[in-house]
Amino acid sequence: MVRGLNWLLGLMVLVAAAVSMDSGRIEIEVINGLWQWLRSIDSSAALISGEIRLPRTLLALLVGAAMGLAGAALQGFLRNPLVDPSLIGVSQGAALGAAGVFYFNLLPALGILAMPLAGLIGAALILLALIALSGSMARPAIIIMAGLAISALASALLAVVLNFAPNPYAMQELVFWLLGSVANRGIDYLYLLLPAVILGGLLVWHQRRLLLGLSLGEQVADSLGLQVVRGGRFIILGCAILIGSAVSIAGNVGFVGLVVPHLLRPLVGYRPDRLLLPSALGGALVVCVADILVRSLPPEHELKLGVLTALAGTPFFIWLVWKERQRWI
Amino acid sequence: MDLMTISGLSVMQRLQDIDLSIRAGVVLGLIGPNGAGKSTLLHAIAGLLDSSGQIELDGQPIEQYSAEQRARLIALQPQFLESAWALSVHDIVSMGRLPWADSDQQIIEQAMRRTNVLGFAQRPVNQLSGGERARVWLARVLANQPRVLLVDEPIANLDIHYQQDVMQILRDYAQQGHAVIIALHDLSLAARYCDRLCLLEQTQLVSCGRVDQVLTEKLLQQVFKVEVFIDLAARPPVVLSR
Repeated sequence: MVRGLNWLLGLMVLVAAAVSMDSGRIEIEVINGLWQWLRSIDSSAALISGEIRLPRTLLALLVGAAMGLAGAALQGFLRNPLVDPSLIGVSQGAALGAAGVFYFNLLPALGILAMPLAGLIGAALILLALIALSGSMARPAIIIMAGLAISALASALLAVVLNFAPNPYAMQELVFWLLGSVANRGIDYLYLLLPAVILGGLLVWHQRRLLLGLSLGEQVADSLGLQVVRGGRFIILGCAILIGSAVSIAGNVGFVGLVVPHLLRPLVGYRPDRLLLPSALGGALVVCVADILVRSLPPEHELKLGVLTALAGTPFFIWLVWKERQRWI
Repeated sequence: MDLMTISGLSVMQRLQDIDLSIRAGVVLGLIGPNGAGKSTLLHAIAGLLDSSGQIELDGQPIEQYSAEQRARLIALQPQFLESAWALSVHDIVSMGRLPWADSDQQIIEQAMRRTNVLGFAQRPVNQLSGGERARVWLARVLANQPRVLLVDEPIANLDIHYQQDVMQILRDYAQQGHAVIIALHDLSLAARYCDRLCLLEQTQLVSCGRVDQVLTEKLLQQVFKVEVFIDLAARPPVVLSR
């Protein structure tokens, strides 16, 4: 059943990617354009399909996959279906790093890659703070508390940066970036995001037995010979790489990491280890479809991708709280 | 030959200088008041707590086994268990195979049959009654096929039918050449199903031996601070507070 689900989601991702490549204000022959782009033929079709739509589609897929996978892994590790990847503070850390580049023009030699790289550095610093705070007792309950504290600190620092914005335009630009988008980002961004998603994904994937063992609690996982503390660190590190790289490139694309694993969980028999791949595929599908919707809206009222996912995700979150409340009445 | 030998086992402020040994085929009961150290002893044997002293399994110090090897040889069923997710009974039982890194369906099915949970293998564990769930937890550790099975209060909150059911399953498992160590509060069931008993009080071992050597009025009164009525000759044996 899980294999069938993966194939189905994979097929839907391919269809969404094809629709995304064909979506835009200018009508072009996509396959022809891509073929021309690959052969370096100078044409508008080649430019639009190869330089604009292809990176946008691939970035949407990778950002969504990173968010979905990180959400599934963190929910499994922390044994809590309401955990969102932003809980461990890495998204805020990435935003803080990127904000530094906006305001203080750091790393100018790196050009357009300065911001995502600074985002990754910010995410890494927050991760180090998280590991330092949770210490040798890096167990799920401690991680949640440390994550809340660190994400509050990162949010406060981000507020300080916004407060001391050098000019209103810089602030506006940062706020727009924070709203989340995969538009106007070249193929260069993929060179940063793809290895990060592969590395983070492998770190998480390697710990899937621990995720299953943790279903019955840490004591049982320990008694099954699983390395809860060490494996937990790998999961947190993998998630930080996934979230940090996705946020530093696309800004905040919220709720994907919360909603996608939650929707798919019953379809994999609630097994946290079997939820990883479907969540990555589901996340890729949701973000790609959301980006297609964003592009289909009138250009004079541009809606950012992160705003759309938050608008769609928040009612779902409310429904989850409602459902949980019903259980206690 | 003893399957497991424990000497001078201590856990900071929770367990002091425990010496005991257990042979294959034996059910050893740990009894004593709340806070005596029964659960701590089981957790220390399972390697979940930092402890001093020595544990030998099959004549080899336990430190010589890797965490995975240790988990194959010693399985623990904690007192309080809850699944974070609505996993199926089959999935819960198959978790017993995690230390072996396989999902041997024959062993999993055998464990489910032995505990009589095969009939609802595909049902979510959160939809089962307390008694059914207790047997599912037991099936998980049986699927582990450990040489030493540690069980913490397996019959707490179970009705008398399920109490007998669970204790008989553990007894059968011991008779197949394994060692079973159970922490128990019910002294009558301890007398009925255990071959040997160890009585703990305030983190220390007070007495260890045959059932009739440990379940004496003098010892129980000294440890539990109540007068007791004991009739080990009755079928089943009776141990009650007066």
